Amino acid sequence: MTDELRLAVERRGPDGAILHTKGYINNVGGEEIATRAYELLDAGCKTLLLDLRETKIVNSIGISILIEIIEKAMERNGRVAFCCLTPVIFKTFHIMGLANYAKIFDSEENAIAELGLAA
Amino acid sequence: MLRLSSLIADLQHLERAAQAAHGPLILDAFTRNTRFEIGAVYLRDGNGFRLAAKSDQCSAPDLLQIEIPLDAGDFQLPVLPTPLLILPIRTHREAAGVLTLYSAGQVSEDDLQLARVAASYLNALLTNQRLVHEMREGDFQLKSRLWELESLYDIGLSIAATLNVDELADEVLFRMISLTNARRAALFLRDGEQFKLYRSFGDPPPLDDALAARLMSSPDAVTLDDGLLVMLPIKGNNATIGVLAAADRETREGVGKFEENEMRLLSLFANQVAIALENARLHRDALEKQAMQRELDLAATIQRDILPKAIPSIDGLPIAAFSKSARQVGGDYHAFFERDGVVTMLVADVSGKSMPAALLVSALHAAVQLLFAEDRELGDIATELNKHIHRWSAENKFVTLVMVSIDREQETIEFVNAGHNPQYIFTDGEMETLKSHGLPVGILPNSRYMTQRRRFPKGSFAVLYSDGITEAENVAGEELENDRLEAVLREHIDASPDVICDRIAVAVEEFAAGAPQKDDQTIVVARFVS
Repeated sequence: MTDELRLAVERRGPDGAILHTKGYINNVGGEEIATRAYELLDAGCKTLLLDLRETKIVNSIGISILIEIIEKAMERNGRVAFCCLTPVIFKTFHIMGLANYAKIFDSEENAIAELGLAA
Repeated sequence: MLRLSSLIADLQHLERAAQAAHGPLILDAFTRNTRFEIGAVYLRDGNGFRLAAKSDQCSAPDLLQIEIPLDAGDFQLPVLPTPLLILPIRTHREAAGVLTLYSAGQVSEDDLQLARVAASYLNALLTNQRLVHEMREGDFQLKSRLWELESLYDIGLSIAATLNVDELADEVLFRMISLTNARRAALFLRDGEQFKLYRSFGDPPPLDDALAARLMSSPDAVTLDDGLLVMLPIKGNNATIGVLAAADRETREGVGKFEENEMRLLSLFANQVAIALENARLHRDALEKQAMQRELDLAATIQRDILPKAIPSIDGLPIAAFSKSARQVGGDYHAFFERDGVVTMLVADVSGKSMPAALLVSALHAAVQLLFAEDRELGDIATELNKHIHRWSAENKFVTLVMVSIDREQETIEFVNAGHNPQYIFTDGEMETLKSHGLPVGILPNSRYMTQRRRFPKGSFAVLYSDGITEAENVAGEELENDRLEAVLREHIDASPDVICDRIAVAVEEFAAGAPQKDDQTIVVARFVS
């Protein structure tokens, strides 16, 4: 299994985007997500959905970076949401407080519908 | 004075700004909103103060190695031009920096007072920001500890819920990586004197023979590559059963050594893996035991089918038999044959116990059935059996056996005793033993056996048995021995074979008095009534 993160960005409408991650969300992977997320926020995106279906591991540095992304988005009146988390990551996000500031959806379809991220 | 509100508004940007932007923001707020249009800001960097921002007209060194007093104005700084105002920047814990201000024009006491008030506000702001940061950091650390505890608890539940080592290995490895911030990890399992890679995340660290030997004998973690790589022996009951490796602990700045907390976590994970592996091994052993039990059940069924289902019912020659295995399958065998009014009884005891003995019993049974189907005399049958068993059974396997044929017409018995215990006949109230007159069958390839004959008039009875009867032990380790058996026989010298058989079995059981049965027990009794 690889420790490298791969990231694919899918723009949804004028102010939304889905970030599909694959691999370890650690310092390196987290920074990559943050860079792309900040670019999207700078470009006027207000809603960022992180689809973590192909991520099995996230460490504490990765979590702190995700928290920073959530805060940055909130400063700009934007929002971050997550979907398709493994049970372990789902529980981790609740323990670490991410669930207090970002919505978590069980499926991408539900997230798209509720966040209004139609293509 | 008019610009105090905009000065405060400018300083409020500090609350959301990254620390790197603090210097320029402070300088900008003061130089734009007071009469001091020139300045420099130093902020703490380790034990000294590093230049964080300065006006173009200001000449200032990059680093100041000084102690900044809590009150402003009474210390000198090596910056030019000489500042009109020196304002310490403080948080609740420490001197965080210093702000120097100049002006080309005239400044009043009110201007100085305005700057000092603004500096007080700045200090309160930075203190507040630092407290918020510390609180958030503390909150994050607290949640991280909770995350660790929950993870270890969850792994404990997983270990209790599944015996699938593949799944558990993945879960343990993933959680270990998450909680220790490792970039790479691997699990090796022991294979002889080596460790083989079982699971890995990222590039697995090399584990050569020398390191394997070190880990086999080490009770503690082995740290390599200046602390960047940790290898922990996984201890089973008596030996090292695997190795858990973690490498490249991440920090925001790159990678670093595993600290005390991570080492403690790694040790806990190694313990969890040890428990999971031990559980899986015990489960595997239990399954193997079950499979072995099924084989034993099957062998016992086969052996039950081999032993006579019924005792021959012959008028004037009542026969009784008793058989009890020490284990599920045993090494005792008995059989009956009848030809032309002559009844033959056979009792045999094969060497060994359990499955190997049962297999030999099967071979003996097949050979005996074939040989008795031919019209052979007992000595010839024993000689052929010897050849057969010697040729086809494993080395060191043999059979003691006694065969007794009762010919009522001739009122004689013929017998062969091949290495078996002395057997008994009672004739005219006198006891006689039928002693062994040859080696057990299967020991030497060319052994020959001669048929022996004795008188056996009406009223006589024969008692055949295996050594499990006379060697039955009580709790003190004493054996029943032939004396006690003979006493039972004499006591019931006129009884029917059923009664004699039953009395012997009861005597053995009462003598053992609950001591475990160590050997198979067989009794066959026949009386010539008419």
